[in-house]
Amino acid sequence: MAAPTAKQNSAFFAVIAVLVFMSVGPVLLMFVNSFKLDVDIISGSTGLIFLPTIQNYETALCDVLWYEPEHLDFCALKFGGAFINSLIIALISTVLTLIIGCMAAYALVRFRFMGRDTVSLSTLMVRMVPPAVLLVPVFGLWNNEFCLDRDGLVGGAIREAFGGRGDVCLAGTHSGIILIYVAMNLPFVIWILQSFIVQVPRSLEEAARVDGAGPFQVFFKVVLPLIKPGLAAAAIFTFRIAWNEYLLASALSDRDTKTVPILIVNNMSEFNVEWGVIMATGMLLAIPPIIFTLLASRQIITGMTAGAVKG
Amino acid sequence: MRTAMANRLTPYLFMAPAAIIMALALMYPLGYMIWGSFREWNPSQTIGEAEFVGLKNYIFLWNDPNFHESLGVTLKFAFFVVTIEMVIGVGLALLLDRDIRGMSFLRTMFILPMMIAPVVVGLMWRYMYHPTVGTFNRTLDGLGIPTVDWLGQYALMSVIIADIWQWTPFIFILALAALQSLPRSALEAARIDGATPWQQIIHIKLPLMMPVLIVTALLRLIDAFKVLEVILVMTEGGPGLSTEILALRISRTATEFRELGVAAAMSNYLLILLLLLTVGMFAFNRWQEARAAKLHAQVEEEA
Amino acid sequence: MKNRLVTTALGVSVAALIAGAASANPYAEYEGTTLIVNFPAHPHYNAAMKVLPEFTRETGIEVEVDQLPYLKMRERQTLELTQDEGEYDLISYVVFSKADYVFADQLENLAKYFMNPKLADPNYDAGDLIDGYVQNIGVAGGTKGYLPGPTGSLFGIPFGSETSVLAYRKDVFEKHGIAEPETYDQLLDAACKIPELEPGMGGMASRAASGHQASHAFLLHLAPLGGRVFDDQWNPIINNEAGVAAANALKTIVDCGPEGAMSFGPSEAANAFANGDAAMFMDSIAFMPGFENPERSQVAGKVGYAMHPMGVRRGSQTGGFGIAIPKNAENKEAAFLLMQWLTSKKGDLMVAMEGGNPSRFSTYQDAGLNEKYPFSATFGEALKYADPDWRPIIPVWGKINADIGTTMSKVLTEGLDIQEALDGVAERTRAVMEDAGYYTWQ
Repeated sequence: MAAPTAKQNSAFFAVIAVLVFMSVGPVLLMFVNSFKLDVDIISGSTGLIFLPTIQNYETALCDVLWYEPEHLDFCALKFGGAFINSLIIALISTVLTLIIGCMAAYALVRFRFMGRDTVSLSTLMVRMVPPAVLLVPVFGLWNNEFCLDRDGLVGGAIREAFGGRGDVCLAGTHSGIILIYVAMNLPFVIWILQSFIVQVPRSLEEAARVDGAGPFQVFFKVVLPLIKPGLAAAAIFTFRIAWNEYLLASALSDRDTKTVPILIVNNMSEFNVEWGVIMATGMLLAIPPIIFTLLASRQIITGMTAGAVKG
Repeated sequence: MRTAMANRLTPYLFMAPAAIIMALALMYPLGYMIWGSFREWNPSQTIGEAEFVGLKNYIFLWNDPNFHESLGVTLKFAFFVVTIEMVIGVGLALLLDRDIRGMSFLRTMFILPMMIAPVVVGLMWRYMYHPTVGTFNRTLDGLGIPTVDWLGQYALMSVIIADIWQWTPFIFILALAALQSLPRSALEAARIDGATPWQQIIHIKLPLMMPVLIVTALLRLIDAFKVLEVILVMTEGGPGLSTEILALRISRTATEFRELGVAAAMSNYLLILLLLLTVGMFAFNRWQEARAAKLHAQVEEEA
Repeated sequence: MKNRLVTTALGVSVAALIAGAASANPYAEYEGTTLIVNFPAHPHYNAAMKVLPEFTRETGIEVEVDQLPYLKMRERQTLELTQDEGEYDLISYVVFSKADYVFADQLENLAKYFMNPKLADPNYDAGDLIDGYVQNIGVAGGTKGYLPGPTGSLFGIPFGSETSVLAYRKDVFEKHGIAEPETYDQLLDAACKIPELEPGMGGMASRAASGHQASHAFLLHLAPLGGRVFDDQWNPIINNEAGVAAANALKTIVDCGPEGAMSFGPSEAANAFANGDAAMFMDSIAFMPGFENPERSQVAGKVGYAMHPMGVRRGSQTGGFGIAIPKNAENKEAAFLLMQWLTSKKGDLMVAMEGGNPSRFSTYQDAGLNEKYPFSATFGEALKYADPDWRPIIPVWGKINADIGTTMSKVLTEGLDIQEALDGVAERTRAVMEDAGYYTWQ
């Protein structure tokens, strides 16, 4: 192919500019609208010329603000609490998934548990299960089976310590949601990490072992540092799913453990679609993933391609 | 002796947490669901209280026109989404496969839609599709073109467009990665032989990329069956059942109609369908891989 | 937990001491209790939220509100009410949930609370509560199980109950010399005339979105046009002439409606009217105060309010919410006190002044309220024709409702033949009823 001419190049830049605009445009639109009053959004004629206001953000965050916004009669949206729930759930499930997934991936690769094909096939199988399919069983199990009797020893202790009523069940707790997220993400994490662990030279581990390190030490001191890029990619993907998931969280959470996606769906309520506030909550939910994207796009791309291209 | 023992146990220790969690929170629920699908079960009962009704739920669904429609919508959605995204994504990858500045920026920006919560994607598009306030109709109106009833008459199309916006970048990025890992020698050889860019694409690039493309398509296909939040927020399945994909119908059956047994049976149908598709694609992939390997060898030889 | 117990115990003993010393404050015993209540996101309950701090100030009982969209609220309650011990002390329920909850024995019968001299306020004046609402929303077990009758008893009190009225643009109607629609013929006529006369404006904004909304919109027209879902023997008659007429009316309204009308939920419909995209809006009175708020509405001051037009009879909807105490609640007595306070003459008026829907005759006659919301009088009049039987409230209704809703939506968007569509609904409904045992006695 001849070296691309300047003209060709500028054509490509034009294409790229259009593509970037298309993919970022809606997000920008949401960003801009989140600073508009509903009147401005609905009347619409103003376009980009409007008086920006943080009122929507005040409405959304009213439960964590140190002052009471003037335009509110009472604080209906408890976004701050939901945000904290989302953070707790997403962070803990990410850390757990990574640790557990890493160990499993290591065992699978180093100790030749199953063939690589079996692993990728079964990963694919599990990955195939849509969250909606898990809805019914998880709802039933978490509410009725995975419970501790409130009169029992442990259940009684938990009720004593944390209050609350009825039997102690997984449903309605952070741990209940974390458990299902960890389970959902494990196959994918194992799959990705495998392709990184395979590349760790065995000789390094042998050397460490000769120096007297046990299998756990070898794993934590030799293997883990070497697969950092893989861990980063896996972490972002796990976090993303745990942060964004709606369906199972809505079936499992109660009023104290609501996550942000639930809050947003609830807020698209029948009686008043307050676009400005919804866009503000949407923006707040989108901020962590946007930050990840800007900071770690290389890792994300590695993670995405690792599964399909190499595996 | 004890270290040997410990060494032998290590793999099991390493596997145990993952195995336990997946057994407890994935396998057991799936079994529980199969068990529940033979029962007439509403959310106020525990599964033990629910009455055993044999295959009733399955037979009911088999004859239920709403289920058929929903299944049809799901298949249509998955088909169009995967096909269109593959064509656009791979097309763009072939077009933009060159070293120019701005590429990495494009890739970064391209990931954005995928990272944002489906719930948020849904609400952005619901806003843009809004009949009067929305961006699209306002633009059309401003240009003097008759407006479109996006989420009414053309709901399925609108939902598909939103999905294409969100997920085409995924295919683009994978296809680009595949393209860039192609053996340079083969392309070089083809160029020396005087193959036109088109011939290169059709005879060399695409066949060599095929295994990756199939896996990509498979991943997208699987994900297309998982889509729920975007549609829930945009249309709630309406109008009629025109965008009520199976995942959404399962969740409505469970929560709104309060028929857990039927929802479980529906989940099983969906799983079986997905299983067939996955196994089919996997087999196809094997076959293609073998072919690609042969081609690979051929090309190398010729070079 | 233990700490709380101690404080409560302390509070109780202190209260007992005070009670012994001075004349009893009925709330003293419950001071410091925190009630957890479940309210819908709804204009009436938003108004109630503004009044709750006053309750806490007066009684010392704290209230924590879990506000959810009303269809979500029902899902949540289904789950909460089945537990041995539930979280909610007081719930608000959509009127059609009454059947489910009472049938599953999940609500407290209120008789014992009204009997309890320590709890029941002698000045409550239950006779002032709008009887139609009480019967429709609060009483279960009468005729057909959900209508008033000698065998019924009280499980809830109406709070945020609604009927339907017609809101129309006075200015537009005057400009084109169209009279206020009295009958359905006039209504449909006006609905389709306006888009011609007033380009860019739809006739009437109505709910139409698939599912519950489309079903609601259809039933809204079914009762005044003389139809019912069932006859007295529970045979589906939704596909008779009146049913077809109602479906036709809905289709006409949506076809002549504003842009995108097919996917409207109530909020979209109300917004369309508030933005001036439609000349009429017929729905619950709950939306109407919003149109007079110039901050959210571009039609404030231009709206006329009329009764739900007459078909072959007058029959506006009865709906909305009631409040009840779950069987598995923790603080039932304090919950009753809150319930009583909210629906008392004073509470009802306070909520109404904030934009809620009154549940009492006296509130509708209040001069201050009529001054603030001039349409209150029309609403009071409309109430006389509120039809408690406009939709059946039976445990299997959810399923039938969903079926009507999807089928109607198909009629609206896909042009499904109306008679055929309703025949299908009737047939499926019969199967559901058969399954549920409604034909056992035939």
